[in-house]
Amino acid sequence: MSKLIEAHRARNPRLLLFHGLVGLLVAFLVCGLAWRQLFHRGLYSERERLQNQRRIIVPGPRGNIYDREGRVLVGNRPRFSVVLNLADLRGELRTEFVKIVRNYREFPKAERPTADQLETPARTAVAQRYLDQINVILGRSEKVRPRDLKRHFDQTLLLPYILLDDLAPAEYARLIERLPVTSPLQVYTSSTRFYPYGSAAAHTLGFVGVNDDPTVEDFPGEDLLTFKMKGSLGRAGLEKKFDAHLQGETGGAIYRVDPAGYKVDLPIEKRLPVQGHNLTISLDIDLQLAAEKAMEGRVGAAVALDVRTGEVLVLASKPDYDLNTFVPRLSHEEAAQIEETGGWLNRAIQGVYPAGSTFKLITAIAGLRSGAIDRDHSSVICPGFFMVGNRRFPCWNHNGHGERNLAGAIRDSCNVFFYKYGLETGPDLIAAEARRFGFDHPTGIELPAETHRMLVADPAWKEKNLNEKWFPGDTANLAIGQGFLDVTPLQVACMVASFARGETLTKPTILHVADRPAQHTAPIGLAPADYAAILNGMEQGYQIGTGRLARIDGLSAASKTGTAQKRTPQGTIELAWMICFAPAENPQIAIAVCLESQEPDTSFGGGVYSSPIVKAILEAWKYKQDHPAAKAPVFKVGP
Amino acid sequence: MLPKRFDQARPFATLGLIVLVWLFVPLVVKSFTRVTFFEAQAPFAAASSYVQDLQEFWAMRVRPKNEMIEAGRDLARLNASYELRLQENDQLQNEILRLENLLKLPPLPAFRFEPARVARRDFSGWWQRLVIRKGANYGITVGAPVVFVGGVVGRVTEVHAYTSVVDLITSPTFRLAAAAEGDPRPVSYQGGLNDSFRAPRGTVEFVPLDIYATATATRRLVTSGLGGVFPPGLTIGEITMLEPSTDGLFKTGEVRLDERLGSLTEVTVLVPLNPLEL
Repeated sequence: MSKLIEAHRARNPRLLLFHGLVGLLVAFLVCGLAWRQLFHRGLYSERERLQNQRRIIVPGPRGNIYDREGRVLVGNRPRFSVVLNLADLRGELRTEFVKIVRNYREFPKAERPTADQLETPARTAVAQRYLDQINVILGRSEKVRPRDLKRHFDQTLLLPYILLDDLAPAEYARLIERLPVTSPLQVYTSSTRFYPYGSAAAHTLGFVGVNDDPTVEDFPGEDLLTFKMKGSLGRAGLEKKFDAHLQGETGGAIYRVDPAGYKVDLPIEKRLPVQGHNLTISLDIDLQLAAEKAMEGRVGAAVALDVRTGEVLVLASKPDYDLNTFVPRLSHEEAAQIEETGGWLNRAIQGVYPAGSTFKLITAIAGLRSGAIDRDHSSVICPGFFMVGNRRFPCWNHNGHGERNLAGAIRDSCNVFFYKYGLETGPDLIAAEARRFGFDHPTGIELPAETHRMLVADPAWKEKNLNEKWFPGDTANLAIGQGFLDVTPLQVACMVASFARGETLTKPTILHVADRPAQHTAPIGLAPADYAAILNGMEQGYQIGTGRLARIDGLSAASKTGTAQKRTPQGTIELAWMICFAPAENPQIAIAVCLESQEPDTSFGGGVYSSPIVKAILEAWKYKQDHPAAKAPVFKVGP
Repeated sequence: MLPKRFDQARPFATLGLIVLVWLFVPLVVKSFTRVTFFEAQAPFAAASSYVQDLQEFWAMRVRPKNEMIEAGRDLARLNASYELRLQENDQLQNEILRLENLLKLPPLPAFRFEPARVARRDFSGWWQRLVIRKGANYGITVGAPVVFVGGVVGRVTEVHAYTSVVDLITSPTFRLAAAAEGDPRPVSYQGGLNDSFRAPRGTVEFVPLDIYATATATRRLVTSGLGGVFPPGLTIGEITMLEPSTDGLFKTGEVRLDERLGSLTEVTVLVPLNPLEL
C-alpha cells in the first residue's frame, strides 16, 4: 500500500509542479544570496566596517621654543587627569539604570520619565561612585556634572571621560599608587603649553588657542566616524608664525566598537603622536628680563639687535600679559584687563611713533652726503629757538645751547642746528635718506602682524594724500623727527645697527643660527671723517651729553636721545626715545627704546626716562661678556 | 538502561552540567567557596613551609662545630657593624626629624614591622605572588607594603586567617609612585611580564626628560613616598634603559629588579598603625 502511495506521489503532476515551484524559489533565494555574497560582498563589508569601527585622532605635542643659549622659553607641561573608561562600566550602567527604572514603577505611567530621561541620572550615579573613590584618596569633594557627562556620552563616547583635570604631581602619585592597574579609573596624561618665564617676551612668543579640528595625514579611516581630541593652534607671535613647524604630528587609533558604541578590543590600527619640531630663537632671555624689569610700570618698547647678524636679542613691549594665563584658556576677566591696559599691542613692531631727535642722525647723514653740512665749518649759535618764516620753532633748551657744530649738536641734541641744516638739505633728500635706511617699509621680521603704517613723508606724499603744499615748517619738523614721520622701535633699532656697521640696512631676524654670517648691505656713503664726526657726537652724548644716565664704567658706547610729541585722543603725549650701540669702537649690540608718557601734556624726556632701560640692557650684556658661561663638557650618554 | 552512546558521553554531560550550574551560582557562594578552598589549603602550605624550615635547621645542625663557631664569629661581627649602622641611622633620623620640624612637614605614616616567613611562591605568566605565613591573626591588612633587605617586595592583596597573599613587585598588576634617586619628581613604576627563567624586570613611565640611565650607568629607582602607601626611599631596582616617548613629554624605560625576589624565604610587612592615614 505504502509503495503505491509513494509511486502515486512521485508521478503526481501537481506535486511535480509544486516541487518545481519550490525548487525555483529556492534557486531564486540561492541566486539572491550568491549575488549579495559574491558580487556585493565589498559593499556589505564596507557597511559593517563603518558601523563597527571608530577612529580617534590625538594631536601631537607642539615643539619647544628655546632662546639663543638653549633655555626653554616655551615648553610643554604634562597635564595629569584621572579618567573613567566607560567601556568597562557597561554592566554597572545597565544595573543602575534598571534600579532607577524599578524605583519609578510605583508612579502612574503618565508621570514616569522616559528611558532617555533616566539614563543620565543612572550614568551620573555610577560616575559619581567612581569619583567618590578619587575624592577619598585625594581628600576632595568633587561632583560629576550631569550635563558634561551627557555631552560626553552623546558626542565622544569612545574617549575616556575626564573626572578630574590638571592634577598636582603629589595627587597623581597618590592615584597611581592607590588605583588598581585594572580599574576603570586611570591616570591619563596630555600636554599643555608652559611658559617658564611668564610674561617675558610675551608678544614675541605668542600664545596658542584650542584647535577643535586637528588634521591628520596618511592615517586610514577617513570615512569612519571620528573623535578628535583637542589640539592647539598658534594664535599670536611665534606660536602663530611657526605653527606648522611647531605643530606635532597627529597620531590616532581605530577601534572596533559594539552596537552601543563602546570599544570592545585593542586598537586595530594605532599611530603614536609625535612632538613637533623645536625652534631656537635669537632672544637672550637674560637681556630680555633685564629690559622688562627696567620697563616695569612703563608703556613702550625696547629692542636690541646683534649688530653683526641682525639677530634680535631683546624685543620687549609693555604692558604685556602672563602667557600662563592662556592655559588652558584665557578668562573673560583677564582678557578684559589686557584690553584695558592696551597689552595686546606689540609696540616694538606694531606701534608707530615719530622718531624724535633720534632721527637727527638721518638728517645729519643726508646733510653730509648732500654737502649741505660741512663737518668742519657747519655750526649754529643756538638762542633757544629758530624762526622759519614768521613761525618760531623752539629748541628743547629754551635758554639756547650757544655755538654748536655737528658733533656738539648731536651730543646736546640741538634742534636749531638741525632746523637750519635740514632746511638747507631739503625734505626730499632727508626723506630719501630715511628710505635708504628702510624707514618706509616693514622690516620683514619673522613675526606676524608687523605694522605697515610707517610713514616717511615728503612734499609729493603731502600733495597726494592731504592735497596740501609742503611748507618749510614741515621740513623743520622732519629734520628733528617730528611732523608726519612715523616709525616703529624695531625700525629705529635696525637703523642704529646699520649705522654702527657703517651700512644702510639691517634685516632683523628672530631666529638664531649658530655661526650666522654677518650681514652686509649698501655702505652708508659717508667719508670716514664725516662718519667719525657723527660717531664722536654720539659718543660724547653717551659720556657727558643727554644719554649720560645710561653710562656704564668700562664700556664705551654711542647714543642719541630724543623726545617726540604725538597726538592721541587723550591729548598730546611725549615719547622718550633713546638709541645706543656698544662698544663704540667695535659695535656688537644696538638698542632702541621708546616709552610713551602716560599722562598727556607732561614732560617725558628720553634722556631721563629711557636711559635706565638702555643702561639695564647694557649692564646685562656687559656682565655676560665679562662672565662668559662655562661650556660644560659633553658626555655621550647611550649608544 | 540508557543507550550506549549516551553512556559514553555521560562524563562530558556531567561536566557541562556542573559548569552550567556554576555559572548560575550567586557570586557570594562562589566567593565563599574560593576563600574556603584557600583556607583549607593554608595548613598544608604552612606545614610544608615548616617542614622545609625544619629540614634547613637540621641541615645546619650537622655542620662541623668549628664551622659553626666561625659562622657565629662572623655573625657577631656582622651584628656589631649593624649596631654601628643603627647608631648612625639614629643620628640621621634625628637630623631628618629636626629638618622636618623646621620645615613643618606633615609626619609620614607610621608602620609596625611584622616579619613573616614565605609559605609558597606562585610565579607564572598570569601572576607573581607570594603566600606568607601570617594573616589576620597578626593584624595584617590589605594594601600593606611588604619589604625585604633588598627593598620593595610587593603589596598585600589578600588577607586570610593565617596566611596572606602578596602581589609581587614583578607582577604586571603592581604599580607604585617611584622616583629616581635624588630627584623629587614622581614617576610610575609597574611590574612587567616576567617569565620564570629571566631576571625580574619592571617598567618605568612618566620619567622627566632630564633623567638619564643606561645599562652601564644605571640609576637607582626608589619609592617616592608620595603615593601614601610605601614610605620614601625604599629600593625598587635599577633603571637600565630610558628612551623618550614619541610625544616628547617623558621617557619610559626598564627597571632591573633584585634577583633575590625569586627565592625569598622571609619578608617584612609594614602594617600601618593607622590605616586611615593611608
